[in-house]
Amino acid sequence: MSHGAAALVLAVCALGTYLFRGSVILLFGDRTFPPTIERALQNVGPAVLAALTVNLAVSGGGGSGVTIVGAEIAALAVACGVAVWRKNLLWTLAAGMAALWILTAL
Amino acid sequence: MSSSQPYVTGDSGPARRRLSPDRAALSDALPLVIPAIPFGFVLGLAMTESEMPLWAAWLTSPLVFAGAAQLTMVTIAGTASLWAIISAVLVINSRHVMYSAALAPSFRHQPGWMRRLAPFVLVDQLFAVAMLHTDDPPASFRRYYLTFGIFFFTIWNLAVPLGMVAGPVIPESWQLDFAPVVMFAGLTLFAIKRVPAGVAALVGGLVSLLAAGLSDRLGILVGAVTGVLAGAIVDQWLTARNSPEPRTDAV
Repeated sequence: MSHGAAALVLAVCALGTYLFRGSVILLFGDRTFPPTIERALQNVGPAVLAALTVNLAVSGGGGSGVTIVGAEIAALAVACGVAVWRKNLLWTLAAGMAALWILTAL
Repeated sequence: MSSSQPYVTGDSGPARRRLSPDRAALSDALPLVIPAIPFGFVLGLAMTESEMPLWAAWLTSPLVFAGAAQLTMVTIAGTASLWAIISAVLVINSRHVMYSAALAPSFRHQPGWMRRLAPFVLVDQLFAVAMLHTDDPPASFRRYYLTFGIFFFTIWNLAVPLGMVAGPVIPESWQLDFAPVVMFAGLTLFAIKRVPAGVAALVGGLVSLLAAGLSDRLGILVGAVTGVLAGAIVDQWLTARNSPEPRTDAV
């Protein structure tokens, strides 16, 4: 890849990402949306985060393979249980990873 | 999930309520930044093996600031066309439009400079915690958001170059690539406060599982949009059922 091509890819991706992140905040910053839209926007967080979690789980972080093993599913279940029970992210992380290590070692 | 008990990411219970927005942001950021560090290392290592010139690969961290998109860029740089790289990155980052939409109401009370600066650091983790602070007063929301964003940006921009220099120092057997999955699962549950949100998460997760085979992580977008629609439909249905509508016999 040439230096010029790299600069172009870098510039377009940086600008595109900023515009995506800023889109609605910058364009509709002063406007209120209809109540139906406002209510629907409250579901964006849970929907995107759930989709992101599942996508990351089955594709193993940065990879492209589609696999998830039993130990990972069980560790996720433990983590979710602790998340609901303790409502604390450090506990969730500790429990999920500990479960994964124990289950992989078995 | 529907209990009114406050969520806690870092410190425990009562002590936390006295925390200033800065302290709260840092204590929330800590458990979220830990899994990001090994990912930054892996990315840094991938950059040294990339076809992309090293300076350009390095600049993706401060300028694009989006881990999954950066990893895709440096990985396919040698094999894909310029437009294939650009479209892959834009598809991966398209979920940020939804973040922007969801947070927009909270930015109505923010000054112009904040609206222009804030999107630059709007990563997944910041979105997830910012959504839990949308009821804060504008000034503390701003402090919280900026403290978290700047902290995350700083750590990320230290971790990636370290990975470029130091390479893989964390053994693969630790399976730290699974840590972000655990964190986002927890954040998903924290974000669910009403029944429609639960439906949105359930449908979003299931659809993205079915769509996981799609390239460029398109499954995230497909799952998210379907989830939001499902949540909206259930919301409408619940509202219609719970509000005793006046009988309009004439119509």
